[in-house]
Amino acid sequence: MLSVAEAEQFLVAEARLLDERRFEEWEALFTEDGVYWVPMDPARDPTDSVSIIYDDRKRLHERVYRLTKTPVLDQNPPSRTIRLVANVEVEPGDGPGEQRVRCNQLIAEMRPGGPGQAGLNSPRWLAARCEYRLRRVDGRWRIAWKKVVLLDSDQAQYNLSFIP
Amino acid sequence: MAVTQRARTYGDLVVDDPREFRVHGSIYTDPQVFQEEMDRIFEGTWVYVGHESELPAPGDYKTVLVGRQPLIVARHEDGRIYALYNRCRHRGAVVCREERGHSNFFRCRYHNWVYANNGALIGMAQASGYPEDLDRSRYGLVPAARLASYRGLLFVNLSPTGPSLEEHLEPVRKYVDYWFGRSPSERIQVILPPHRYEYPGNWKLQAENGFDGYHGNYVHLSWQRVLQLSKESTVEEVQQYRQEGCVRGLRNGHGLLERPGSLNPASSWTARMMHRYPEYAEAMRKRFDDAQLMEISARRNIFVFPNLYLFDTHIRVIVPKAVDRTEVQLYVYALEDVPEAINRSRYRGHERFYGPAGFGAPDDIEVFTEVQTGLAATGDPWNLLHRGQHRERVVDGEVIGHTTDEAPQRSFYREWKRVMSQA
Repeated sequence: MLSVAEAEQFLVAEARLLDERRFEEWEALFTEDGVYWVPMDPARDPTDSVSIIYDDRKRLHERVYRLTKTPVLDQNPPSRTIRLVANVEVEPGDGPGEQRVRCNQLIAEMRPGGPGQAGLNSPRWLAARCEYRLRRVDGRWRIAWKKVVLLDSDQAQYNLSFIP
Repeated sequence: MAVTQRARTYGDLVVDDPREFRVHGSIYTDPQVFQEEMDRIFEGTWVYVGHESELPAPGDYKTVLVGRQPLIVARHEDGRIYALYNRCRHRGAVVCREERGHSNFFRCRYHNWVYANNGALIGMAQASGYPEDLDRSRYGLVPAARLASYRGLLFVNLSPTGPSLEEHLEPVRKYVDYWFGRSPSERIQVILPPHRYEYPGNWKLQAENGFDGYHGNYVHLSWQRVLQLSKESTVEEVQQYRQEGCVRGLRNGHGLLERPGSLNPASSWTARMMHRYPEYAEAMRKRFDDAQLMEISARRNIFVFPNLYLFDTHIRVIVPKAVDRTEVQLYVYALEDVPEAINRSRYRGHERFYGPAGFGAPDDIEVFTEVQTGLAATGDPWNLLHRGQHRERVVDGEVIGHTTDEAPQRSFYREWKRVMSQA
């Protein structure tokens, strides 16, 4: 079982990878059957409804590839983000070598640009309740499942392609 | 005609020049134009408010904005759907604050005036303060002037005058019918909640873009690279596909972008699904002949003036909030009576491209913000929409153009001009 301090260390390191746009290293944190889910309504079964993001590992790879290897408009200029990780809790996992972890995150995001550019230059704040299922693989903790429920998950959003 | 910063009439802002169709930038930036659009277009013509499958049971309701005005759309115990102004007849408070839910009555929280979900006034707190013979039938929630359904698509018109919904939809109706035809029972079921995104730009930027076949190879190049990564199709194949089909500018401001239909599984989604799922093929062939299947399998983005798009995965609703702020709602739907796996793959396919974190829609949103920013520069205040004007042809009242041409945009602005310059 992870201690709260160990879980927090893991989550802060993950947040740093995203803030530093080290997306390929972030992707490598996921297990081969890993899922990344950003629901609109967390009470619904994601297979039979529509989510903001519901990535299996293949889709997650496409997401990272799009951000890092293609001429993507909506992340050019790229987002700057600062993530605060707090309220970390650990719970028993679903099987041997597994661990459930919860935290809250506050994500500040901004894209810089020239004067008067709509959509750029103003920081916005996203608050999220996050749940993780971590699995011990080859002596390392990996993400088997990550759920990010935005405070305003069911409200209209501006682009979220920076990976919330 | 010379047009200064503020036009004398709204009609001057759309110049229907046969060689250089153009629109004035102020139609996207002038708050006065926006207020007039709300008065004349959104509060004076047929506006889409939802699909009947969102309100399956008596008591189900949703709240919407029609232009600037709050309304409740509710299914009463008589099975009928009612569109009611969300305003207590007493002192004006809304009687419902939820986005959607289930209730047989609406209660104003200010002084407990209570209304049935067909609008009828049931009673109020301390009713003895009114005469015993008070005619309650005079004080119900006010219904929208008109509410009508086309095959479950619900439209409200706050004006009692003007064309019927049937007349309004007539030029686009057959395409809407083909759109339903991918379900062998020709029925859909909306899946809630919708994707919702908001951008700092004018609503017409979304209206102009949904049937724009010109931008795809540039704005969505990163999407094409993702398809290539997954070995679904090469960038060259997608770019070739984006040259096929046509655009159609229809009367009454409607329009569409169309990719050719095919019965070959390699060339259309419908044929591919029929090939993959024999039970689907059987049901489709039982309902439709080959000529109909050719039309049904054509992939179309269908625009219904002024706020509705029908896409292959979703119903798209444009919600103008301010001259430079727009919400867009994407209601994904299930095709009824098709294998579950078909719908699930449609949901995953939708998520992949659309929504605030999809691999395509955010690129469009980004471009809308770039246009809105650029329009502040008024050295030459005109936007050009004359692409393909020299090569379009008119067949049965439809203006048909090359898939990258701006024929549907011109149809849209001709209707905009007509409605905005009415006396």
